[in-house]
Amino acid sequence: MIRTVLTAATLTLAALLAQAQAQAQAPQGVPVPGPVLGGGKASAPAKAPAARPGTFREIRWDELVPKDWDPMKELKGLDLGNLSDADPRATEMLKQLRKVWDNAPANPALDGQAVRIPGYVVPLEETADGLKEFLLVPYFGACIHSPPPPANQIIHVLPQNATKMRSMDPVWISGTLVREKVDSYMGAAGYRMQAQRVEPYVERPR
Amino acid sequence: MRTLLSIAARSAWNRRLTLSLVALCIALATGLLLTLERLRADVRASFAQSVSGTDLIVGARTGPVQLMLYAVFRVGGATNSITMASARALAEHRAVAWTVPIGLGDSHRGRPVLGTTPAYFERFRYGDRQPLQLAEGRAFAGTLDGLYEAVIGAEVARSLGYRTGQRITLAHGAGGMPGSEHADKPFTVVGVLARTGTPVDRTVHVSLQALEAIHLDWAGGAPLPGMSVPADQARKFDLEPQQVIAVLVGLKSRAAVFVVQRWVAQYEAEPLLAVLPGVALDELWDVLGVGERALQAMSGLVAVVSLASLVAVVLAGLNERRRELAVLRAVGAGPRHVLGLLTIEALLVTLAGSVIGAAVSLAAVALAGPWVQTQFGITLQGGAPSAAQALLWGAVVLAGMLAGLIPGLRAYRLSLADGLSPRS
Repeated sequence: MIRTVLTAATLTLAALLAQAQAQAQAPQGVPVPGPVLGGGKASAPAKAPAARPGTFREIRWDELVPKDWDPMKELKGLDLGNLSDADPRATEMLKQLRKVWDNAPANPALDGQAVRIPGYVVPLEETADGLKEFLLVPYFGACIHSPPPPANQIIHVLPQNATKMRSMDPVWISGTLVREKVDSYMGAAGYRMQAQRVEPYVERPR
Repeated sequence: MRTLLSIAARSAWNRRLTLSLVALCIALATGLLLTLERLRADVRASFAQSVSGTDLIVGARTGPVQLMLYAVFRVGGATNSITMASARALAEHRAVAWTVPIGLGDSHRGRPVLGTTPAYFERFRYGDRQPLQLAEGRAFAGTLDGLYEAVIGAEVARSLGYRTGQRITLAHGAGGMPGSEHADKPFTVVGVLARTGTPVDRTVHVSLQALEAIHLDWAGGAPLPGMSVPADQARKFDLEPQQVIAVLVGLKSRAAVFVVQRWVAQYEAEPLLAVLPGVALDELWDVLGVGERALQAMSGLVAVVSLASLVAVVLAGLNERRRELAVLRAVGAGPRHVLGLLTIEALLVTLAGSVIGAAVSLAAVALAGPWVQTQFGITLQGGAPSAAQALLWGAVVLAGMLAGLIPGLRAYRLSLADGLSPRS
C-alpha cells in the first residue's frame, strides 16, 4: 500500500519537476529542490567564462544537468492524474522513469572546466594514507537510502594526494571536471575529476 | 644546571627502591598506551588493506558489516548462500566488468578454506591495487583434472611448514574433530602465494567444483553411510556449483556503482545485498570506535594513576628529605634550585619509566606479531614507533615533568628554618 502511494507521489513530483524545469528555461539557474550543499547565495553566476588557471569557479549540483534535458520526454502524452495507485502501469512507468534518470546525460558545457563544488564522500579506495578514490554525491545518505542520485549527480574523484576521510564527510573539491565518455553500454554516464584540492566543508559566513 | 642534574640523580639513586617501583608503574602505563595505539592503527590499516579494486560485494541479505566481515576478513559465519543463477545474472549486467564468486565454510587446521574460480588470482587486489603474486608454484587449474588442487597463503605455508606438493585434507566446518575431515579426498598444494599482510595469507584456496566434490556424500549434513563417493568417482558427478557465499564485483565505470547496487537490492528472484567495501568499513569503524575510545580512555587513566603515584611518592619523600634540602639551602641553593631539583627528579623517573615502557611495547609487538598474524591475519608493524606513538610518549614525559612541579612548589615554600629546626 505504502509503496503504491509512494509510486504515485513520485510520479506526480516528477511531473511537477518537469514543468518547473520547462518554466525555468528562460531565467538562468533552476531553483534547487530541497536542501543541497552549496545552494543559495554561494553560487556564482552560471554564465562565468572558463576560469583563469589556478582559480576554480564555484558551481552548483543542478548545473551538472544539461539545461535542455527532459526526463519526462518518453512519458509525454500520458494522463498521470487519471492513473490509480494500484495501476500496474504506474509501477511500470516509475521503473521507466528510474531508467531515464539512471541514464541522465552529463552537461557538455562543463567538460574541461576548472570548478569547485561541495558534496559528500562515498569511499571507494582506501589505503593506509587515506582515500585515493571516492565518489562525491550531492546529499547525505545518498548511497544508503534508495533511490540513489542519478549518474550525472555523481562525481568520481581521484584526489592528487590521498586524504584521510570517512564515509559521508562533507568536503569541497576543486579541480578540472571531465565528462566520462557517454557509453550506454557502461550503464551510466558521469563526471570524473582529478581533484587538486580536497578540503573539509565549512559554510561561508554570509 | 649540570650540578643540579647530578645532585638530583644521586639523590634519587639513594631512594631507588620506591622510585623504581614508581618508574615500573609508569613503564606499564606507557607500554599499555603505546601498544594499544599500535594495535589500533594496525588493525585499521590491515582491514583497509584487505580489499581494493572491488566495487561491490554481493551476498545473501544480512548486515553490510557482517557480509564484509565474512566475505573479506573471514570473520564470523555466513548467514546464507546465494544461488549460482543470481551470480550469473549479476555477471551479465551491462555495467559489470567482472565477477568472482567465492564459497566459504570449510577449514584446514583452523585456517579458512575459500572456494573460488581461477579468475580470483587475476582479479583480486589488496592494499593499493596490488595483485596477488605466487611465491611458488601456480594457481589451481579449475579443470576436472586439477580438481583436488589447492593454493595456500603465505602464513599457512609458514606456520604449517607446507611447500608445493604437500598433501592436505580439508575439514567440514571449523574442523578439529576426527570424523569431520574430508579425509577421503586429499588435496595437493600446487601454489603458495606471496605475503600480502591480509586475510589471504591464512586462507587455503580451492576451486568451487572441489568444494562440491568433497560434499557430494554429505548431502544429509553428515557423511551418509554406504553413500561414500571415492575421489576419482566424484569427477563423474555434476560438480557445477549450485550456490556460492558471496560474489566480488568489478564495474566498468565506478560511477555506476549505485545503479548496480540498487539493481541487486531489487533483484526479484532472491533477496540479495550489495555493499560498497569502503562504506561498510566505515560502518565497522563506527561500531568499533566506541570500544576503541573506551580502551584509550582506560589506558589514559592508567597513565594518570601512575603519575599520581609519582606525585605521592615524591611528596612523601619531602618529609624524609627535609634535612637534605635544608642543607642544600644552607650552602647557598635558592628555593628555585629546590624546585628544579624535584622537577628534575620527577622527569628522570618518568623518562626512565617511559623509555622502559616503550621498549616493552616494541618487544611485545615484535614477539606477538607472528602469533597475531596466524590467528587473526592482522600484520603488526614492528620497528620504529609511529608519529602518534611518539606523540603519546612525549605527552607522558611532559605530564610527568608537570606532575613534578607539585612537590617542587611545596618544597619551594618550605622555609630554611623549617628544615633546620627539627621538632621531632
